[in-house]
Amino acid sequence: MIKKISNLREVLACAALVLAFTWLSGFSPGGARAAADNKAATTIEELTPSMSYKEYHKRYEAYYGDTTARMAEEGNPADFLLDDGKDLANKVEGTKGKSCASCHAKDALKLKGAAVKYPRYDADLRGIMTLALQINTCRRKQMGAKPLKYESYDQLALTMYIKSLSNGMPIKVSIDGPARPFFEKGKIAYYKRQGQLNFSCAICHVQYAGYKARSNLISNNKHHADHWPSYRLKWGKTGSLQRRFRGCLKNMRAKRPPLQSETLRNLEFYLTYINNGDLIQVPGMRM
Amino acid sequence: MAMDRGKGRRKAGLWAAAVVIGFMIAALPLSARAGNAKKGEKIAKTRKLGNCVACHYLPDVESPGNIGPNLVESMQGYTMADRKEVAQWIRDARKFNPGTIMPPFGTNKILTPEQIDDLVTYLYTLKK
Repeated sequence: MIKKISNLREVLACAALVLAFTWLSGFSPGGARAAADNKAATTIEELTPSMSYKEYHKRYEAYYGDTTARMAEEGNPADFLLDDGKDLANKVEGTKGKSCASCHAKDALKLKGAAVKYPRYDADLRGIMTLALQINTCRRKQMGAKPLKYESYDQLALTMYIKSLSNGMPIKVSIDGPARPFFEKGKIAYYKRQGQLNFSCAICHVQYAGYKARSNLISNNKHHADHWPSYRLKWGKTGSLQRRFRGCLKNMRAKRPPLQSETLRNLEFYLTYINNGDLIQVPGMRM
Repeated sequence: MAMDRGKGRRKAGLWAAAVVIGFMIAALPLSARAGNAKKGEKIAKTRKLGNCVACHYLPDVESPGNIGPNLVESMQGYTMADRKEVAQWIRDARKFNPGTIMPPFGTNKILTPEQIDDLVTYLYTLKK
């Protein structure tokens, strides 16, 4: 009898131990990250813009003063990329013995104004064509040349140079016709809560723009897409808008889709569309 | 002989039970434990932990954020009986405000229940 009871006790004790361990192991930090990312949200959260752009800009000036103006006075380190970009546009590469200039005139000057409609829908791609992807597509199809690695010096320089040919012109992205579904996908990506911190692009840059996260003034999403590739003091180098997206996603402790992936192209498409009318100004320079 | 073996087994069984109970007590969440205010303050002010100061005012911090309410002011409205409610705000504020920007520190396992408990204890030290 005693033996039976003690056996039962041991069984119970073991079961309790197992339970306790499962309970404890459930508390491991980071465990919910994957689960949070998997929740596929398709609805657009209704958010109220924190303040007008005018009010935001007033706060920006009051908080940062003439920091950006002083940075500009000392010159933009990214200006060096422009000259190299121009050289690259004239450089013959690939199996077909061509350069950008072969089709787009010396210094690719025929591309003046071309960048204002990027990103755009592309029928062959059945998706969103960014300027960076367009350049690599041209290199592959028209020049028989290798694609330039995203975020490499040459890739940034060439993209920046071609975009600079549209400097001072308003962004004019179209979301009509077959582009529409990709715009919607981009918008969902912009509003989707994701990552361990459960943030979205919009919750900060729409609903809390102009407020301070510690000592950073959260930026309003106007003028977010008009100055890339941009020099960024924090990076100490020039980078693309999609690199910036990935930086934000890291801070949100969310999954980071690769550069020029469908998700990031759709997101760039949405953001650039809502910046329609902003004047292109590359290279940008930001803190 | 047979009796002795039975006793030994019973002893082992009791020990196992004691260990289990020990584990349970160590893992007892939230209100049942006192929490450590000093640890809580560190959690509140460390970027990789709670990082409350990214959005909330807390004393003795350089340039705290202004997205969320001033926590010194907020805490004046709570009594010790509200400990569970304060903890719930940290664990998952969506229960009170579905569209909140505040990360669900408990639900998304950003902090452990012990850490949240320490935080709550620290927050109560702000009551004047």
